[in-house]
Amino acid sequence: MQGDRLPEGGRIDRARPLSFTFNGRALQGYDGDTLASALLANGIHLCARSFKYHRPRGIVGLGVEEPSALVELLGDDASGNRPATTIPLREGLVAQSVNCWPGPGFDLGAVTQLIGRFIPAGFYYKTFKWPNWHLFEPAIRRAAGLAAAPTEPPAKGHFENRYAHCDVLVAGAGPAGLQAALEAARAGRRVILADEGVEAGGGLLNRRLTISGAPALDWVAGVVAELEAMPNVTHLQNATVWAYREHNYLMVNERAPDHPGLLERNWRIRAGEVICATGAIERMLVFGNNDRPGVMLASAAQAYVNRFGVRPGKRAVVFTNNSSAYAVAADLISGGVEVAAIIDSRAQVSEAARALVPNVEILTGHVVTTTRGGRALKGVEVAPLAGGASRRIACDLLAQSGGWNPAVHLWSQSRGTLRYDETLATFLSDKPAQAVTCVGAANGEIALDDDSDDLPYAIEPLWRVEQARGKAFLDIQNDVTVDDVHLALREGYDTVEHVKRYTTGGMGIDQGKTGNINIIGTVALAQGAAPGEIGTTTFRAPYTPVSFGAIGGLREESVTFPYRHTPITEWNHARGAFMYEAGARWRRPGYFPQAGESFQESVNRECRAVRQIVGVYDGSPLGTFELKGRDVGKFLDHLYTNIMSTLSPGQVRYGMMLSDDGLILDDGVVLRLSEHRWIVSTSTGHADAIHAHMEEQRQTCFPDWNLFVTNVTSQWNNATICGPRARALMEALGADVDLAPDALPFMGFADGQVADLPARIVRVSFTGELSFEINVAPRHMRALWERIMEVGAAFDITPVGSEANHVLRVEKGFLSLGHEVDGTVDPFDLGMGWVMSKKKPDYLGKHAVALRRAGTRDRRELVGLRPEPDQMIPEGAPLTQGGDRKPTEGLVTACVFSVVHDAWVGLALLENGQARHGEIVHVRLTDRTIPARVTAPVHYDPKGERLRS
Amino acid sequence: MAYDVEILRLSPFALFDLKGAAEALEDWAPELSGLPGDPNALARNGEVLHCHVGPQHWLLRAPLEEENRLDAALRPNTAPPEISLVRVSDTLTFFRLTGPDAGEVLSIGCPLDLLPGVFGDTAVSFTELFGLKALVLRCAGGFEIAVEQSYGDMIADYLARATV
Repeated sequence: MQGDRLPEGGRIDRARPLSFTFNGRALQGYDGDTLASALLANGIHLCARSFKYHRPRGIVGLGVEEPSALVELLGDDASGNRPATTIPLREGLVAQSVNCWPGPGFDLGAVTQLIGRFIPAGFYYKTFKWPNWHLFEPAIRRAAGLAAAPTEPPAKGHFENRYAHCDVLVAGAGPAGLQAALEAARAGRRVILADEGVEAGGGLLNRRLTISGAPALDWVAGVVAELEAMPNVTHLQNATVWAYREHNYLMVNERAPDHPGLLERNWRIRAGEVICATGAIERMLVFGNNDRPGVMLASAAQAYVNRFGVRPGKRAVVFTNNSSAYAVAADLISGGVEVAAIIDSRAQVSEAARALVPNVEILTGHVVTTTRGGRALKGVEVAPLAGGASRRIACDLLAQSGGWNPAVHLWSQSRGTLRYDETLATFLSDKPAQAVTCVGAANGEIALDDDSDDLPYAIEPLWRVEQARGKAFLDIQNDVTVDDVHLALREGYDTVEHVKRYTTGGMGIDQGKTGNINIIGTVALAQGAAPGEIGTTTFRAPYTPVSFGAIGGLREESVTFPYRHTPITEWNHARGAFMYEAGARWRRPGYFPQAGESFQESVNRECRAVRQIVGVYDGSPLGTFELKGRDVGKFLDHLYTNIMSTLSPGQVRYGMMLSDDGLILDDGVVLRLSEHRWIVSTSTGHADAIHAHMEEQRQTCFPDWNLFVTNVTSQWNNATICGPRARALMEALGADVDLAPDALPFMGFADGQVADLPARIVRVSFTGELSFEINVAPRHMRALWERIMEVGAAFDITPVGSEANHVLRVEKGFLSLGHEVDGTVDPFDLGMGWVMSKKKPDYLGKHAVALRRAGTRDRRELVGLRPEPDQMIPEGAPLTQGGDRKPTEGLVTACVFSVVHDAWVGLALLENGQARHGEIVHVRLTDRTIPARVTAPVHYDPKGERLRS
Repeated sequence: MAYDVEILRLSPFALFDLKGAAEALEDWAPELSGLPGDPNALARNGEVLHCHVGPQHWLLRAPLEEENRLDAALRPNTAPPEISLVRVSDTLTFFRLTGPDAGEVLSIGCPLDLLPGVFGDTAVSFTELFGLKALVLRCAGGFEIAVEQSYGDMIADYLARATV
């Protein structure tokens, strides 16, 4: 039973009734309703409880400005803290009030009101300091918070981002926006028109205006039809322009795209110019108990009557300081609402305004001092502005209008400046920072021009009612009162930005759209300044709340993060490999578990295979670059610490790169293919960074050098065969290259055929064993790999994952980026001073290292660790003297179970570590201390005989 | 499929990365005559494309069957130091998006202005696709895009999600 639904009128489809549930009650509305209008039609005014004081709250506004009627949607629409005014009604919608228990009618949290005077702004931060704010925070948040975020993603549908470009982006499809879009489109410009409402028309939808003698909405329909027919126009409704960034880059959140399965679409639009036709937002008046259910913005009351065919009250009082509320009163009367009186704080009212409401009592120079009632409005107290006896007027609706604020949010986000306009008593756009223009109400043209029957706009500001009795709210959503602002000012928070932080006024879902300027006015009054001198707080995106899904778009589940595959990924999956990201977004096999094996057993088995027989791993992700030109040699001498230019064709050399500040950036090998062609092989994790580094150096430092860099990381894959039987397996594979140690020694390479595939064989080793890196084109990688496994079966070959690789390199004391190379070490720290050339006059990082090492501070140096007794040490664990709570003297960079030693071995960076071999140091954990003996960092084959074999 | 688009992961092409002055490249190999001079422009010669993708930087694309012939003609290993020719056939994975909604689907991941008057038949550009570096060009009825080969599966994953 929609008891407050008018018998006719409104832009609702009465032929399409919709059922919905609110706080467990089954209700009905119509297609075209919002949840708010449907609730009002069903006589429900009490929707929620307030954030802090749990005061009863009703519907205040009409759209995104709504500060009060927040609800939580359940089921398929699950989301929290949604203004009921912005939720289009649909069949089966389920909603409930927020911040109340068991319900908004009887809320246990309302006990807070009894101590309300003792918990002003800043109370929590000043009171709950000891021992720790975080001790109290959860309970306070439970008591004061709003609805929780949904715990599950939407059951159906997905989100999408989309890029778009246009000559003109028009934000807002009210009269000014429609006219602007039409003019631009007729001129042949590519136009995007985006409007937050479900249909075009803006404020015209809510009123009964005429344009050129015809209903204004007929004009709207004509313009929309013309725009729809133009191929150069993209018209988006239910789409909010929510962010305005640099270079006219704007975000538009389209909430119900006409596309199957699509929940929301976020447009990323680059516009040649932007027209802000964002309209204006009515602001509240500040008087006692101005938050009681039944107190509503006048424009909202007007819209509920005109647009939704709903009677928002039976007997209304209109309270205003401007002319716009008179048309509201007239429309309320037309909708069957009795208007008991108009309370106008101004001394004079125009005859044109009076003529709209000929039979209504108008009390000029009067104000509402407070409201009466409990959970619903029962009346108001009215008194002369200048002081005097008050009078009580019974009513169940108070339609208030404190004036209109142009919606300059997007303008301000674009970094355009604002100026205070004394005539309109509001802030207007001033100087633009980008190609943007404000038009219509957003530009202060609150009333339509002479071609319409709109009343000229006139206002006298009323920042607050001095005689107010009871809490006078400036920000209803955050329960911020005039007293709170005065307290902030008394405590020294005397700028509007500080007042905002202290009181939270202007924060929250609505971002203070109805109340911010009243806060500015209140500060101005208290400081004896003009509002223009106080200024505004900073407008930031988003203009209205945007779901995380819309921002993320398609980026969820498997594509939340980028990932890369090598050609044998399917093979790895088929072998049951445990895959994970192992640097630079590569998904690689961590290990290849066999039936019944634990993680450690798998890794041990793979390590034993490499140390005792033969293993193979996929080394494809290593960064590979081809450098060409006469100046490559000296370029590499500049990048690397050692000399590369003396490398002969056919040779390979290990090298290390430093950053400008002399810290290790990367290590790898360089191959010289011919006089002018080189290959640079980098670590996997830093491949992209090193590419960028090389290009930056080439383009900025040596633009005249004859030098080209080409990324061939994905042109070369490699399978690395390693272990004592690697050479035998290579021979069995059918390599046409002489693999003898003196023909293809360690740090040599040769081009040839392996397994009938064109390949480059490189003798480098990351495991410390005899190794052959077989490089082939990716199109051959799978065939090569399968051939290796097939031929290798006779050798009992084992595929090796990243975990075993890690163990093997730790045993050898080889550095790893992200472990030993953590952005703080130079080559000397790692015992690799030999890689720093003394012959080259200069290279990147040389002088920084020299300067640092000229200092006297102890350095953390790479050492080996052997836990005593034998046990695992967590990587990253700190070392402290005696294991005591003291400043750390180092950290454990790696600890692995060595199958060679049948024990745990580790690496660490330890202060003065190279001089402390043999000492016992202590690993400090949260629950215990682990002693460990310091050793040389090479736990296996210190002479390197095996890798050179 | 909500979007009217056909998505095809293409077989590899023969690709050569070419750097240096256009005249020097053309002098070295007649195969390279007619390199487009305008930035982000491509020249088609049958199925062979010369794409101008950066200052003194072109990409030659041809059917894979042409790879060995081109390699012999371009002689990358013996080219003078003033130019660089590198076979990069395996570095890119190509996708073809065709159909009425091809542009809409591409605009989900690609920030380029794809309007025909802005990005026409002879346009080619490295840009971004789902956050990755990508090459974009037009083809009959739609677009071709290429990403670094190792990201091919991820882009296929993305495109499948975009067109659900």
